[in-house]
Amino acid sequence: MKLLALFKKEAKDILSNKIYLLVVFVQLLIILGAYGLAITSSVVTDPELLDEWGGSATIKVGLPQNLQGSPLEESLKNQDLTLMYFPDVETGLKEVGREVVALVYISNEEGDIGLQIDNTNVFYPVARDKINTALDYYQLEEILSSRRLSTEEINIIQNPLDINEIKINKESASPLALDSSYFVEIMYGFIVPFILLLPFFLASNIVTDSVVGEKERKTFEVLLMTPLSGPMVIAGKILPILLFSLIQSGAWIMLLYFLQVPVYNPLLLMVLLFFVGLGFIGMGVLISMLVDSTKEANSAVTLLLFFATFVLFLPLFMNIPALSGILNTIPTVIIVRMSSGPYLNPLWILEFLPSVFVSLAIFALSIFYFKQEGAIRL
Amino acid sequence: MSSWTITKWELKNTLHNRKFILIFFLQLVVLLMMVLFFSSFMEGIESEEGISLTPSLNQFASLDIYDPQNILINQLNPEILEINSNKIDIALNRLEGGDVTGVLILPSSDDFNLEEIKPVPVNLYIDYEDPKRSVIKDEVSTAQNKASSLISERWINDLTPQQEVSQPQIQEETQGEALPLQLINKVMTAVLLFLPLFLFGNLIVDSIVGEKERKTGEILIAMPLSRSNIILGKSMAVIITMALQVALWMVLMILAGYSIENPGLVYLIVVTTALPIVGLTSIIAAFSKNYKEAGIGITFAYVAIIGFLIVPALAYISQQGRYVSASTMTLAIKVFSGEPLSPGDIIVPFTSLLLISLISYYISIWLFKRDDIVFGPRPGILRLLFEFATLNKVVNYFKK
Repeated sequence: MKLLALFKKEAKDILSNKIYLLVVFVQLLIILGAYGLAITSSVVTDPELLDEWGGSATIKVGLPQNLQGSPLEESLKNQDLTLMYFPDVETGLKEVGREVVALVYISNEEGDIGLQIDNTNVFYPVARDKINTALDYYQLEEILSSRRLSTEEINIIQNPLDINEIKINKESASPLALDSSYFVEIMYGFIVPFILLLPFFLASNIVTDSVVGEKERKTFEVLLMTPLSGPMVIAGKILPILLFSLIQSGAWIMLLYFLQVPVYNPLLLMVLLFFVGLGFIGMGVLISMLVDSTKEANSAVTLLLFFATFVLFLPLFMNIPALSGILNTIPTVIIVRMSSGPYLNPLWILEFLPSVFVSLAIFALSIFYFKQEGAIRL
Repeated sequence: MSSWTITKWELKNTLHNRKFILIFFLQLVVLLMMVLFFSSFMEGIESEEGISLTPSLNQFASLDIYDPQNILINQLNPEILEINSNKIDIALNRLEGGDVTGVLILPSSDDFNLEEIKPVPVNLYIDYEDPKRSVIKDEVSTAQNKASSLISERWINDLTPQQEVSQPQIQEETQGEALPLQLINKVMTAVLLFLPLFLFGNLIVDSIVGEKERKTGEILIAMPLSRSNIILGKSMAVIITMALQVALWMVLMILAGYSIENPGLVYLIVVTTALPIVGLTSIIAAFSKNYKEAGIGITFAYVAIIGFLIVPALAYISQQGRYVSASTMTLAIKVFSGEPLSPGDIIVPFTSLLLISLISYYISIWLFKRDDIVFGPRPGILRLLFEFATLNKVVNYFKK
């Protein structure tokens, strides 16, 4: 009952704190911003999506006027590129990076093709992809046109692999905002773990505010004198914070579902997030025991979050096969695997264990220091 | 007594605080870590296909393949795909059981002769319940392009003896540094350089709001020292601390191999940027009643300031410097990249820097001079804005 009373008091404190509620709102803005950015960058880097969204026409490619009406011009036109014509190659080259993203020209008497392309353009990947496809077709056509081959044979040589796509489980297809590999990779490979962990970054701040606040208000000693054991006091303080963070993560999972980025295996993810949260909050309690003021606690928490960001998010961008055994146990890597598909490999649950041990160790350490601090103060 | 006395007091207090010194050096350790991870990150994003900012996603999606003639299997990317070579029935069972997202089936040599010019029939089974289906489709499509080139080349060589084939060659030349590389190299370097300016907001808050919370503000104000000197002295102490951290930060970055041209000038630009940042922080600190209030204010102000610095820098990178920018971060990027500067490149950011500094210090001094702000009861923001714009004098004049 006493624990419940402390739990209620802490929960009320959190919910009546305008700053925390404001930070929750800020998280919402961050999520929507990250989602918008993922959509935009997916469209900008995917030739098919750019065609679909009518963006290809904005990619301007230059040609010397003498190539007007040539098969090369035809190949480029087939890629939905906007062509601009220049009186000569020199004039066109000067405009690369200004008026046009690239210039295609015949560079010598043998008919070789010169391609000058602006690497710095936002549309560079799509422009390069489309121009190269056009040039490949042109090259093949140049070779094949001199042979006496039928159009059908030319088509087969140009497209030798006939891929027939068979859709399985089409009726229960995963609803995706964009059917683009870049979108899926960036959303599930980085943004989903980032969004799910955001509330726990806030949690370490709340816990230091709560414990150090007691110290600053000189109510910490009163709290220690209540008929509650050290672990019970910590439990009463941290459980509402942990619950507040888990509810936020749950809400973000639902929001992602509405944004058509379904997060799979949510219950198991919540179990993992519970332990990750315990680690974050345990670190918050440890910091609170080691500092004397909110100012010091804020600086220490900032540093903690810096370290946590590196440890949790850098492995997502690293490819070191020798370390894959360790990297696979990093919570963010597990989140990527579990959230990105409807099926679950039971072995992944075993990979939870290091996170569980680390979190429990941090939490045990925080209880130890809490008892010591309590002994000093009383 | 002058503002310098306050600066000395504040510096002495700060530098004698062991916890501050510890945090100061921990920040340097964080930078070192950032530099180390940043280098490995740079290695990770450069691939054969160019520069990509996507996560590494080791074996993100799984694909079973039956390819007895090795037509496609060697063209698939094993870094993104977990590729398993299996018999057709096993592969399809695994797809049904959800063990894999896709299955690719190619004909055996008994069913299809690659020497004949006929389309190679390939079946790609994709589980649409799995969002990674797009990754499978994209990777298979990339592998298809590579394999198609090889097959086409082989058929063409079979059609015509090699020496007779005259294929136009493509000579590709790129100009400029790739956008993702620029974003990382230039913007990230700039962000690291400017980062220390945002790590000491607590110092200003502590030295101004702390006086209110500790109830030592009255003693400070009773001293033979103007209130403007108090604000300027306290701000100067924080700027000196920032300058020290920026210097150490830059030395570390240069030692770690960052290419920073004109380091003296870059240092000057970063440190002068500290002036308006500290000025704006002082406004929030002077107005706030307590640490918490100051904390929220600073969070929002810093988001706005970072936006003001970084958005023009990003625009500059993507537009290739066609426009003059008011952000000193853009100027710093131009200077440490060794790019030519026009007079506008220097005049515009420094003018905005000077204007914002003058306005922010004027406002923070104006606030700190008001007893109702320092000792309470504090008036509302609207009333303050009204009074700041001296509208109250106009209203009073008409009342008379």
